Amino acid sequence: MSRLEEILNLVRDVPPFPKVAQRVLELVENPAVTARQLAEVIQYDQAITANVLKICNASYFGLPRKVSSLDEALVLIGHEALKDIMIASSSAQFYQGNVAAGYQLEQGELWRHSVATAIMAKLLVRHVKDVDAGIAFTAGLLHDIGKRFLSAFVAEDFKNIMGRVVRENIPFEQAEKEALGATHAEIGALVLKRWEFPPEMIMAVKQHHNPDALQQDPLTALVALSNALVVSMGIGAGADGLATSLHGDGIKRFGITQVDLDLHMADLVGEMDRAQELLHLN
Amino acid sequence: MKIVVGISDMKVSNNPEDTLITYSLGSCIGLVVWDPVAKVGGMLHYMLPDASLDKGRAESRPFMFASTGIPLLFKEAYKYGAIKSRMLVKAVGGSQVMDAAEVFNIGKRNYMILRQMLWKNKVMITKEDIGGTVNRTISLHVGTGKTILKVSGRGEFEL
Repeated sequence: MSRLEEILNLVRDVPPFPKVAQRVLELVENPAVTARQLAEVIQYDQAITANVLKICNASYFGLPRKVSSLDEALVLIGHEALKDIMIASSSAQFYQGNVAAGYQLEQGELWRHSVATAIMAKLLVRHVKDVDAGIAFTAGLLHDIGKRFLSAFVAEDFKNIMGRVVRENIPFEQAEKEALGATHAEIGALVLKRWEFPPEMIMAVKQHHNPDALQQDPLTALVALSNALVVSMGIGAGADGLATSLHGDGIKRFGITQVDLDLHMADLVGEMDRAQELLHLN
Repeated sequence: MKIVVGISDMKVSNNPEDTLITYSLGSCIGLVVWDPVAKVGGMLHYMLPDASLDKGRAESRPFMFASTGIPLLFKEAYKYGAIKSRMLVKAVGGSQVMDAAEVFNIGKRNYMILRQMLWKNKVMITKEDIGGTVNRTISLHVGTGKTILKVSGRGEFEL
């Protein structure tokens, strides 16, 4: 079996993305949905229920008072925030353990990188027309999920991959592709396809290291830009870190300036402090 | 004791047992100072060059910016008895993603302002490891001034 076949087998065996998240996302499309209807769906997943309460009581989503029951939380929290909480809480399980050791990331660092990219995408989404903030957040959270599947293979071949990055000054994902037959972005796209996420999200994950990503569809541009800023800040940036290429002049089409980028990086530092509970989900 | 310096943070110590460490410098710069006589060490991890970007933020988080953080690092070290003429100064970080248009040149801007500020204040950089597309982690042992730099793809060595 080739290495690529082994990797694809891992993707085939990935557990499904929690159905409850997708069901809630569908339900909140209807503005008339009640807190009771939502609670009926969510309450059957204990881990997610616990996470909803935990996050609702945390500062990031800023509820006016402490809540003790799911019903109470769902009455107080807006649908936008609920969507983010459902996605974050469903995604967290796929990032548990030492999932990106091959990229020389400590335990928890890939999740921290993912949360930071998701929050950065939400900060930047105001500049980008036609992208839903919830989709931006989700794509940010899941853009690097492919690393979980490639980590062990990258570890095996690390000297060769990293050696080429250092000697030849090439993007990490190019060396990754040449060594393993696929990049973590491509594998991540396959995973999202299995989880039945929408095509534009699959595309954004697949293209997030494409140097021309800023010239492509708005969600792809947004995820690539968010990732570039977060790795620049060193948040959950492993050995691959900043060894990626992105043609930055593409920000002009969104009316984004270099000053905007600096301001959003400054914003993210405070946002990450407020998002501590997102970083410690079960 | 190991003292971690986070993003937009600074720590100074004169406890010879302490090690100051900052992880994962990308475009940010880690600035390390050490006085071999007073045995005082300090470390700053700043993220952006100029505090005029956001004055409110510069007040609440002065270590986020080179222009506000660097003077505070030196002042704090002086409080512990460090003297400018004796101080060793090491700078690492300032990487950036590959982009010919230089839109993501935060690392370069962070390094430029450091050079300007130190030049103006007649401070020499003793050692530096700047730029590229790498991640860096740096630590300073306060008692000995030993500075260990870890660079992705290049391993760990004394700076």
